[in-house]
Amino acid sequence: MTPLLQIDDLTIAYRLADGSGFQAIRDYSLTMAPGEIVGIVGQSGAGKSTIGKAVLGLMGENATIEAGRIRLSGHDITRARDVEAIRGRKVGYIYQNPMTALNPVLTIGEQLLESIVTHTGRRGAAARAYAVELLEQAEVPQAAERLSKYPHQLSGGLCQRIVFAIAICARPALLIADEPTTALDVTVQKAVLATLERMARKEGIGILLITHDMGVVAQMCDRVQVLRRGELVEEGATRQLLLHPAAAYTRQLMAAIPPMDRRLDRFDVIERQADSPGRERGIAYLRTARDGFAPSGSALLSVRGLSKTYPAPPRSGQDAFVALKDVSFDVRAGEVLGIVGESGSGKSTIGRCILGLQQPDAGAAITFRGRSLQPGRRDRAALARSLQCIFQDPYSSLNPRMSAAVNMTYALVAHGLVAARDARRLAGDLLEVVQLPRDAAGKMPHAFSGGERQRIGIARALAFRPELIFCDEPTSALDVTVQAEVLNLMKDLREMLGLTLVFVSHDLAVVRQMCDRVLVMSKGEIVEAGAADEVLLRPRHAYTRDLLASMPRMAET
Amino acid sequence: MTEPQVPRFAGWRAIFRGHALPTAGLVGMGLFLALALLAPAIAPQNPYDQMQLNIMDGLLPPMTQTMDGRIAYLGTDSLGRDILSAVLYGLRISLLVAVVAVAAGITAGVLLGLVSALRGGWIDALVMRAVDLTVSFPGVLLAIMLLAIFGTGVDKVIVALAIGIWAQTARVVRAVALTEMQRDYIAAARLGGISEWRIMLHFLLPNSITPVLVLLPMAISGAIVAEATLSFLGVGVPITQPSLGLLIANGNEYLLSGKWWISMIPGLVLVAMVLCVNVVADRMRDHANPFLRAKD
Amino acid sequence: MASFIIRRIGQSAVLLFIMSLLVFVGMYMVSDPVAVLAGDDFTAADREALARSLGLDRPLPLQYLAFLGNVLTGDFGQSYVYNRPVLDLIFERLPATLEMVCLAMVLGVAIGIPLGIWSGLNRRHPATRAVSFATTVGYSIPNFWQALLLILVFSVWLRWLPASGRGDTVPLLGAGWSFLTIDGLRHMLLPAANLAVAIVCMQTRLTRSGTEEVMFQDYMMFARSKGIPRWRLVNRHLLRNILIPIVTITGLELGALIAFSTVTETVFSWPGIGKLLLDSIYRSDRPVVVAYMILITVMFVAINLVVDILYALLDPRIRYS
Repeated sequence: MTPLLQIDDLTIAYRLADGSGFQAIRDYSLTMAPGEIVGIVGQSGAGKSTIGKAVLGLMGENATIEAGRIRLSGHDITRARDVEAIRGRKVGYIYQNPMTALNPVLTIGEQLLESIVTHTGRRGAAARAYAVELLEQAEVPQAAERLSKYPHQLSGGLCQRIVFAIAICARPALLIADEPTTALDVTVQKAVLATLERMARKEGIGILLITHDMGVVAQMCDRVQVLRRGELVEEGATRQLLLHPAAAYTRQLMAAIPPMDRRLDRFDVIERQADSPGRERGIAYLRTARDGFAPSGSALLSVRGLSKTYPAPPRSGQDAFVALKDVSFDVRAGEVLGIVGESGSGKSTIGRCILGLQQPDAGAAITFRGRSLQPGRRDRAALARSLQCIFQDPYSSLNPRMSAAVNMTYALVAHGLVAARDARRLAGDLLEVVQLPRDAAGKMPHAFSGGERQRIGIARALAFRPELIFCDEPTSALDVTVQAEVLNLMKDLREMLGLTLVFVSHDLAVVRQMCDRVLVMSKGEIVEAGAADEVLLRPRHAYTRDLLASMPRMAET
Repeated sequence: MTEPQVPRFAGWRAIFRGHALPTAGLVGMGLFLALALLAPAIAPQNPYDQMQLNIMDGLLPPMTQTMDGRIAYLGTDSLGRDILSAVLYGLRISLLVAVVAVAAGITAGVLLGLVSALRGGWIDALVMRAVDLTVSFPGVLLAIMLLAIFGTGVDKVIVALAIGIWAQTARVVRAVALTEMQRDYIAAARLGGISEWRIMLHFLLPNSITPVLVLLPMAISGAIVAEATLSFLGVGVPITQPSLGLLIANGNEYLLSGKWWISMIPGLVLVAMVLCVNVVADRMRDHANPFLRAKD
Repeated sequence: MASFIIRRIGQSAVLLFIMSLLVFVGMYMVSDPVAVLAGDDFTAADREALARSLGLDRPLPLQYLAFLGNVLTGDFGQSYVYNRPVLDLIFERLPATLEMVCLAMVLGVAIGIPLGIWSGLNRRHPATRAVSFATTVGYSIPNFWQALLLILVFSVWLRWLPASGRGDTVPLLGAGWSFLTIDGLRHMLLPAANLAVAIVCMQTRLTRSGTEEVMFQDYMMFARSKGIPRWRLVNRHLLRNILIPIVTITGLELGALIAFSTVTETVFSWPGIGKLLLDSIYRSDRPVVVAYMILITVMFVAINLVVDILYALLDPRIRYS
């Protein structure tokens, strides 16, 4: 039988702005049978999106295919001229972010109908009827009404279903799905993937699924390929590869995935550095504050009746948005408290209110070691020593115009807590504590990777010797192996320094690995609270059960 | 998550290497600046010293010999004034007015834009309404109206041009600063208890200034043209300090009688200078535009 | 939408009020019409009588209130120089400016937008670089000097077109128009072309950068992956998106054109409102200057309002409510 898609020894190079070249894909091969679902997994920079774009001839102007051949059902489509005839007709494309894949100024109907008219020859009422049929297939509720809507009026999940409908309208033999659910919430993710799989299996459409998420692969794929820095590491049947990976890289990848069923002491990933005098000095500096900390187990932070309402824009006719509704909880000294929920659940707003970055509604009582934390008070400097934050986005959390050292110590020097001449040495020591080389202190943020920046962010928070640190999705922007390293670091620091952490995350498995107690948030309210093992293994609330059920799981394969 | 495309000033070399025209523009800018600075030293005569003028030399075409045996390379005007000298001195006035106006306008705009973004509330509302009021008029018309009210003069032209520039700058800086303020490093600075003043100067300013730097050459060329236009119309610099625009206006009446050089030569110099600045401006803008950079 | 328009009109009224105050006080502070109008042989008593007849002897706030009351009833006063109602003077000259500006705008848009889209779609084509350089050159030539150049070439050297005046006019709707006669059009061509060069350059550059920006958006990549014909990609997906900034900027450019027409009218002795403004400034004809400024403010405010409304109509993401 002719393979659906056959890629032989593909090499793709990018010409960079400075004139140099860079091979994004080297000697890559793939053979896909009709109707098969094949996953390509890899971390950022692996080149997996480039493969999908290459099949459709949609790479940027600066990319060229240096070697190799791409054949679709036996026809050579390597050259751009040949590929144009198959776009949309034989191969459908599902774009990463559904919210930006649809043209914002054209209606859903127009964007769907133009594909139908181009590829199926249906016109007028027949085309419209077919459009509704496609939307229904993609499980879009009230399909007929959606045709006159604009993309911004629909949710991300719905937009992605509409993208599905567009992609399959010509009954193509192959779909290329580039991270199809990464931009969506967990509870939406699973249903959207299920729809995609149903549609493909029913029509016998093959899917090339590009993803960073092993869970997604486990849920959908027949076969899987692992890609690293543009090269194929290994491939095999999904179950075989996930349970018994042959290549060391795959094993490392699997070891970095936080499991849901048990709690690890540490992730089994390669660690960087041994002890050094600088590191010792840094740890000693951080430990000196420990004696003044509240005794373990006592209530450190107490939140009562915390609400946050965003008023509607004046005269807009919209309702005010309630981000938090009467939230109360305690944080005990020495514990790690997890706050989980989907986007919009209010989990990050809690931290921002407590840290004084946002003003809560009147009536909230927030006390830290029995002292009231009124927003806008003058003794912020003293407060900064007790409460710090590790932010989600490593690319926005450091001032791009300051070196790593200044980023870490600016506030300390400004308050006179550290003499300016000692700041550089302290910065070096702290970098070693977070396992970066001390000579990184002089470099500017853009010279660091995401994981390294996150370590600098952690060092900056530690530098104040705080008693409590808010971690706002600290690893959600990182690749899974980098996440494992950073989580290991946080586990170590917590043990060494007796830190109290509030760990906000949407990822239940990460929370399971890090937290002692958990609060589950939904629509601004705490729906369930308790010990992490209890809540995550024997959830009582329906929403928590939903959340757990929608997690893609390796164990299902 | 990929790194967001933050426009960063990459340094002159990265911007201009491999771009012949903009590099030539940069060299040209330097040349005009040097000519303006050195005008008293290199001009054949001081065009405003009546003692050096000879009415017998009036209206000589380029490359003719004057009464005292010199060659008037670029000709003379009706008073016998050497056009080359007049142009060199005019360049000084044109550049002085443009550079001072841009510097004043941009400084005011950056400060007001930052304060507006950082403080919000009524300060923001007031500044932004003033911006709206100013930018709802095209710069030249605004300047004509201001000069109609305040009268003419070098200082007044500078103020009139700066008023057109501050508002644009303030609007851009405020918009950039507002997005920067959403970024977590500002939250981190607030958490560290750093004062608003320091946040503005050390965190917000260096991260909001890039678009202003990118627009700087364009602002300068715009100011040069605007000043020339105002002076040409007779509402700009006074006759005692003629800029290129005023020289062109003076030659205007001789144009129809075929004595083209009196107004065409200062005009060509003006165009050449503006063109140099604009090719540099174009290059800097293209470079800063993330959409035009090589993209994955 | 209705409430948005009402709110915007309210804001505009405040803006107009502030503008009238600034203009009035500014003019009061710096120019003395008595000094302009009085002959050399005027005695102090004559001057006082003149000031009284002009209403200049009253305190400033009263003068302003009287002025405001008159303006609201459409009375901008008498020109000192022409001794005629200011509004008549302005409306007499407005058609000349409007017809020239409109011709320039049509030329500019008709050439600039297609050129911009073409060069945006063909970034690497050699012609694109030529177009790009040509627009930079066009952009760099000061409008007034370019006008001189046009006169020098087409009127002095080639003797093809007249250098000044309006030529024959035809009365229509109570005003004279040049665009209806061959002679009038010949007169209009040079000044309109002079304005149009700036518009072509601006439109080409804006359309080009808009096109480049839109072509890099995710939705264009997705639309290309759909395999729809290229004309559809350009006509619907691209055009609908770049139309939004183009309409906005074209509207605002209309204002800029009226401003630049001051310069063009002066060089070509085109008897429009721009030339009237400058003549009045030279002669300290205060009522005309004040009326011009207030009317031009009204015009800009109206243009901005229309642009905002068009913006909302074109972009489904914006709903003023």
